[in-house]
Amino acid sequence: MNLEWTQVLVAGIWGGLLAVERRAFLQAMISRPLVAATVMGLLLGDVASGLYVGMLLELFHLGSANLGAALPENETLVSTGTAAAAAAMARSAGAGGTPAIWALAILGLVGLGRLGRLVDRSLEPYSGRLAHKALAEAEQGDLERAVRQNLWGMWPVFLVFGALTAACAIAGGAVGPLLGKLPPSLMRGLAGAFPAMASVAAAIAARNSHARRAPLFAGVTAACVIAAGVALELRRTM
Amino acid sequence: MSAGADKGAAPPTPPAPLPRLLLFRVFLRSLFLQASWNPQGMQNLGLAYAVYPALRRLYPDPEGQASAVRRHLAFFNTHPYVAAAIVGGVLFHEERIARGEERPEAVVAFKAALMGPLAALGDGFFWLSLRPAVGALAAALVPVIFAWAAVVYLVLYNLVHLTLRAWLFALGYRLGDRLVERLAQANLPGRGARLRAVAAASAGASAAYLAMHFGSQQGGAWGPALAAGCLGMGAVSYFLVGRKLSGYALLYLSAGLAVLAGALL
Repeated sequence: MNLEWTQVLVAGIWGGLLAVERRAFLQAMISRPLVAATVMGLLLGDVASGLYVGMLLELFHLGSANLGAALPENETLVSTGTAAAAAAMARSAGAGGTPAIWALAILGLVGLGRLGRLVDRSLEPYSGRLAHKALAEAEQGDLERAVRQNLWGMWPVFLVFGALTAACAIAGGAVGPLLGKLPPSLMRGLAGAFPAMASVAAAIAARNSHARRAPLFAGVTAACVIAAGVALELRRTM
Repeated sequence: MSAGADKGAAPPTPPAPLPRLLLFRVFLRSLFLQASWNPQGMQNLGLAYAVYPALRRLYPDPEGQASAVRRHLAFFNTHPYVAAAIVGGVLFHEERIARGEERPEAVVAFKAALMGPLAALGDGFFWLSLRPAVGALAAALVPVIFAWAAVVYLVLYNLVHLTLRAWLFALGYRLGDRLVERLAQANLPGRGARLRAVAAASAGASAAYLAMHFGSQQGGAWGPALAAGCLGMGAVSYFLVGRKLSGYALLYLSAGLAVLAGALL
């Protein structure tokens, strides 16, 4: 199954809208990895890929925050881009999403968070020019036009991040057919890499929770889940 | 500075209180507070955009209106949610300025005094407590409710976020500077500490589930070993992150070890 251009377009529009939601408008957390990636998977017909990629990235970026003028890594671009690439890869490989595909997409694109921060920074002068223009218009008495400059700041964000997300979908679609040529041992290793990376991401999340007794809370719940899992397994085998 | 206030005299017709529909409009426009965030004025353009419909109503004369817009195009930066309290407070003060009961400096001082402390309060509660707690909880629910975890995330988060944002706006508009006392009673830092504990506990549960479920699924005969390896990697990562090792390095290291194991076993 090949990736269709309409899906690339849909991925781009969703990526662009979320980039706007992340900072410019509302900030209702639709742009957080778990939500952003899951919906991206849904739009591209592979919810599982979006969901599990989103879950891992949500944990990995759990502690990131936009404090004051400091810019954090762009967790939205990495989520939409990686989920789009994973879903497109699975589709063009002619199979559903697998942990090996999710791991490959994450390893290849997790650095998009840093690229997103660079893009965010490079768009700031444009917003600065809008603010100067608004001040000049307010001085001239054109108040309606001055305050409306605020809305123009969203367009470049939508376009640039939308284009980057669409490019990720295209890249995923291009890599998909090559997966069959990879050695089975590598694919087996990549399949194991997903839970290993997810465990690391969850540990980073526990550390970045900033809770006073984080190791205690995390350790107790992890022990409970392990005990429940072992008990269920023993009951199944007995 | 309004023309009336400049001359130290009240405007000819004191403006009526702002209608509810207009207040709602200002609240909606405040959701665009950061649309043109810029390093010089930060949220200045967003604030002027939000309060403009109210200023237009309060100052019918063009000169007064222009002065009012200009004083809100000055530097402004705070937490985008908690800014709702300041937007409400700006309307509280602007009504009084338009009636000639206050000098225009009062609203400028109000913003300057509150934007820093409220930014710290909002960062601590929303960014560093509520968001990690809801995010980790939703991630921990993925094994149970699958994609619905994303819906749970949005509902839980926004129930608190939108309720508090609307409450803060109303508080600012009703109380002006006195909103600080009421806000202190809400004890957001105390609630934030409890939410951070939820985040840590949920992350621990996620780590264990992910290692056991995917480890046993992907490892075949070596499943238990892979699951135990993943758990061990998680535990080691917790301490290495504390020693300032990059999360990216740990992610690639864990993947490298898993790929190596896949090739050898």
